[in-house]
Amino acid sequence: MSETTTGAIDTRAESSLYMMIWAWLVFLLIAGLVIFVLPIPRTAAVIAIFSFAAIKAALVLRNYMHLKHEHLLIYLMVLVPALLFLGMALTLIPDIVYRHHFGLGQ
Amino acid sequence: MGAGVERIPVVAETDHLREIPPGKMAIWVFLASEILVFGGLITAFVLYQFAHGGFSADAAHVKWRFGAFNTLVLVTSSMTMIRALASARANDRARTQMFLLLTVLLGCAFLGVKTFEYSSEMREGFYPSSGMFWSFYFGMTGLHALHMMAGIAINLMLLIAVTRELPWEFLRRRIEYGGLYWHFVDVVWIFLFPLLYLT
Repeated sequence: MSETTTGAIDTRAESSLYMMIWAWLVFLLIAGLVIFVLPIPRTAAVIAIFSFAAIKAALVLRNYMHLKHEHLLIYLMVLVPALLFLGMALTLIPDIVYRHHFGLGQ
Repeated sequence: MGAGVERIPVVAETDHLREIPPGKMAIWVFLASEILVFGGLITAFVLYQFAHGGFSADAAHVKWRFGAFNTLVLVTSSMTMIRALASARANDRARTQMFLLLTVLLGCAFLGVKTFEYSSEMREGFYPSSGMFWSFYFGMTGLHALHMMAGIAINLMLLIAVTRELPWEFLRRRIEYGGLYWHFVDVVWIFLFPLLYLT
């Protein structure tokens, strides 16, 4: 009986957390759209929009995918490929700058 | 001599690995490989944009309102999916069914809007062969839509399994793994939407 009661309380607490996370996701979506619509300098707008996207992704990963309760090994499995493609992008940027922005190496 | 040989385990067993169920480990390995698939495409798009001064002229033709509506649909479906898992943990069959059904319907709504969007873009003369931006746009959103279809199929199978009153222990794990996949597809869209529609 006590187990059922505790379980019910846990579920209610969980559900309200999930609803709160959803409200934050909707708020961040609307905030990104407001920045897109307003006449804000492009670079600042892009940085803000992608910062909001990163926060939204973190909220989903931590709360809906339960990463905040996961083992370090799971974190590493997500981090390694993410760092790999970031590394790939950063490695290619100097080549693009060299070839296209300075018109060299064509 | 044989009796004196000490057996050395080939693989050292650690408590760390035993803590993670094999199914969960498998789904995370799969998701890690998916990060590389979508990450590679996103990196190629960003670098191409950087090298060629942006896609502003083509990007102006995509309808951001549809994209924004679909983002709202997808984050709502993530919420219904996690609530299906919470209901399964509380052994509440009716609510688990309801939230799984809602997730499937929201997934179908996303695909419906995307289909309408594709058809309106094609009516305006924009196809995957219309230029590099459109190749990336149709390629990335199309691959994402395929993942959505797979997610809907998985959720339908879970819905059938819940209706058949299979044991909760069996159901909870599968709903958790199906949910991990669904949320991942949501995270991918969270980055695709600003990348293709807003910048």
